[in-house]
Amino acid sequence: MSASKPKKSFKIEPFKHKVEMDPDYANNTWKVLEDAIHEIYNHNASGLSFEELYRSAYNMVLHKYGNKLYEGLTTTMTNQLQKVAGQIDAAQGDTFLEELNLKWLDHNKSLQMIRDILMYMDRTYVTNQNKVPVHELGLNLWRDAIVRNGRIRDRLLKTLLDLVHKERTGEVINRGLMRNVTKMFVDLGQTVYLEDFEKPFLDATADFYKAEAQQFISTSDCTDYLRKAEKRLNEEIERVAHYLDQKTESKLTTVVEREMIGNHMKLLVEMENSGLVSMLTNDKYEDLARMYNLFRRVPTGLQTVRDLMTSHLRETGKQLVTDPERQRDPVEFVQRLLDEKDKYDRLIAQSFGNDKTFQNALNSSFEFFINLNTRSPEFISLFVDDKLKKGLKGVSEEDVEGVLDKVMMLFRYLQEKDVFEKYYKQHLAKRLLSGRTVSDDAERSLIVKLKTECGYQFTSKLEGMFTDMKTSKDTMAAFQQKMVEEGNDSDISLQVQVLTTGSWPTQPGAKATLPPEILEQCDKFKNFYLSTHTGRRLSWQTNMGTADLRATFAHSRHELNVSTYQMCILLLFNNADALSYQEIQAATEIPVADLKRNLQSLACVKGRNVLRKEPVGKDVDEDDVFHFNDKFTNKLHKIKIGTVSAQKESEPEKQETRQKVEEDRKPQIEAAIVRIMKSRRLLDHNNIISEVTKQLQSRFLPNPAVIKKRIESLIEREFLERDKNDRRLYRYLA
Amino acid sequence: MRRSSRSQPTPAPSAGRTSRGDSEKVEALFAHYADDEADIGPTGVERLCDDLGISTTDIRILLLAWRLKASRMGYFSRDEWRQGLKGLRVDSLDKLKRVLPSLQDEVANPYTFKEFYQFAFRFCLTEPLQKTLDIETATVMLELVLGTHPHLPTFVQFLQEQKEYKAINLDQWTAFLRFCNEVKPDLSNYDESQAWPLLLDNYVEWAKEKQH
Repeated sequence: MSASKPKKSFKIEPFKHKVEMDPDYANNTWKVLEDAIHEIYNHNASGLSFEELYRSAYNMVLHKYGNKLYEGLTTTMTNQLQKVAGQIDAAQGDTFLEELNLKWLDHNKSLQMIRDILMYMDRTYVTNQNKVPVHELGLNLWRDAIVRNGRIRDRLLKTLLDLVHKERTGEVINRGLMRNVTKMFVDLGQTVYLEDFEKPFLDATADFYKAEAQQFISTSDCTDYLRKAEKRLNEEIERVAHYLDQKTESKLTTVVEREMIGNHMKLLVEMENSGLVSMLTNDKYEDLARMYNLFRRVPTGLQTVRDLMTSHLRETGKQLVTDPERQRDPVEFVQRLLDEKDKYDRLIAQSFGNDKTFQNALNSSFEFFINLNTRSPEFISLFVDDKLKKGLKGVSEEDVEGVLDKVMMLFRYLQEKDVFEKYYKQHLAKRLLSGRTVSDDAERSLIVKLKTECGYQFTSKLEGMFTDMKTSKDTMAAFQQKMVEEGNDSDISLQVQVLTTGSWPTQPGAKATLPPEILEQCDKFKNFYLSTHTGRRLSWQTNMGTADLRATFAHSRHELNVSTYQMCILLLFNNADALSYQEIQAATEIPVADLKRNLQSLACVKGRNVLRKEPVGKDVDEDDVFHFNDKFTNKLHKIKIGTVSAQKESEPEKQETRQKVEEDRKPQIEAAIVRIMKSRRLLDHNNIISEVTKQLQSRFLPNPAVIKKRIESLIEREFLERDKNDRRLYRYLA
Repeated sequence: MRRSSRSQPTPAPSAGRTSRGDSEKVEALFAHYADDEADIGPTGVERLCDDLGISTTDIRILLLAWRLKASRMGYFSRDEWRQGLKGLRVDSLDKLKRVLPSLQDEVANPYTFKEFYQFAFRFCLTEPLQKTLDIETATVMLELVLGTHPHLPTFVQFLQEQKEYKAINLDQWTAFLRFCNEVKPDLSNYDESQAWPLLLDNYVEWAKEKQH
């Protein structure tokens, strides 16, 4: 349409026809409807005509009497409900709730019919005037007249709570009736349910369980208590399913959890003879699982359990590693640690659902107490030594791996991994040289594991040892062939292992005078070796070798497997029957401590006493005289004579190793400081300490004071200087 | 310094006017004490001290050495003497005597004192490449330089009792001055995280143990 043209508009008036209206029409019609409503409430609806009533209501709205109709309805229903309230109130005892329920069902039915009759009003008048629809109006009136009736309200609540209480104390109640009544609250709206029922219900629940928890806790032990709490919790969840609104469940369980568990956590876990500690010591998997599941529900619950477990673990672990009795046997010591770890691993898997936070607590506890004993690295290495020497004989490959993995796990806890490396090297050297390692595969497997864990540097020397062993084998084969070719066969068969200096733990100055017949062979080898490897130097490590000797006694002949030192001693007796300690020392020049130990193993061990000592005694003295023991007998032909030696290190040896470790650390710490300072140029004290610690922690945990000392040494040597203004800052000089 | 000079009956030559006569006097004074052409040696220093009326272990002779920028203990080279006396505007023993107290005033300033304190350390290094002072020299020197500081007696006692350190390096020496300035006599405000040298950590630990 064009907007420029003036629009000509027509208005079509509706056709009006005058409706003659009876002035009393409204009152009369309403009277009919009001009567009908009363009839409905009185269960006499069968005689009413729905169509007629509907038309009446329709006409009233049409003739603008909607207001009158609505007001009339409200008043009538209110009056009706007040009557109902009186009836409910009059009900005695148990029938009260049933009466209420019955009337409620009635009201609903009636309301349905009334709404149908007044459908037209609901659709037009109510919507236009923004009134409350009939159904809702009916519910609101019920709420105000019945549920919030001064005489009914408290009685209703009390009745409901009493019933719940009865059920909690073991009586059977009418759950259907309960469900209907709570459903009524829900139908009346969430706020009615929450305010008029749920809140007081939860309060009553709290009171109930508070009292019950008090009573339980003074009469039950932890296990029983938790069992009861678990049962109660399940009952409450069931209760919700039976007759409460679903939304109540989480609130209800929270209350029960708080009252039964949350408020008594500490008391429960610390309960003597039945608390957490007792469950842990007695492997009560089921009880622990229950505790875990219940405590998980309350805030800081698991933390409480975890903290106590941690402190218990640390305490027992500390006792374990510091008990002087245990330290006598390193293998047993480590086995106990492994057992403890196994136990807790199983426990966390079975009872705590492999909870990560618990696993972490376990790990940190182990790390804590293993490092309390400075000998742990040595003992773990000794444990491996024992396993690789004999413990793993006849064990399947998988089991071997299992044991090694467990050892690695303990190794990971060690802060001083370099100390472990030191000992491991010593023990490995002994195993390799005495040919006592059971399985080459197992040895190598462990080296690979160490390598993956700590890097190439950590194991390069260990691997060097294996290479030396292999090379020596080839060298020996060539040497022996050459000896045969040259007709230089001797009845002494010499086996030499050429060890690379630096890779092996050598003890400088441990020298002895070898018997001339051996020395001759040694020289031959030396010439042979140096002819193919010029520029090398060979020195004999007499403290690390072994020898097989044939010995003839009065009654028997034996083959003796002895150390090189013992061989030197025994060969002296080829030319003498008795020698004093001093003579032996002069002839062999074996270091005092070693000589005493070896003499002790030759003369003082029953069944191995190929020498006889005068005077008889356990220890070797410098005035002692030794005789060849002609009467020596033994059922076995082959006899291995060990060296009496403490399996673990003696106190001075330990100090020595310790010192070596400390010395080795110095350059490592300095290198780390210089590396860091080179890249950072300027750094403050605390940061250097933490960075150095971080860099080195895969090998050991450096002491801050030691780092400080290294820094000071670097300052003195002018690699670093202190900042002129801020003394905490160091500056890299170069 | 100038003011104190002016108050003397015979006024000192004013700044900028160093006459030929003055430097001759300085040379004469040098020759008077010198052991040879190049240096005033230990015996000369001893005589100088006698003439100044002070002991050879008096802090004032150390202050003079510092002011003259002496590089060697017990010696003043001709150059050091010439430059130093010129700087002090001194050409006679009398004037030198009068100037000594003003040197003590000068080190009352903490900043100057720090300079002097560090000089005292270097001054004692007699060997080439020497970087540390043995404990004995160090304690004597500390007592001379710091005099009556409350920390000093216990620290000296600690140095003598401990076995770990046989010598003191410049870092530790410098740190102790800061320690004296910052740490209360009862050690209550000592903070180990402040990157003090380990020597002082040990000292504090030792001293606190003794307090109990």
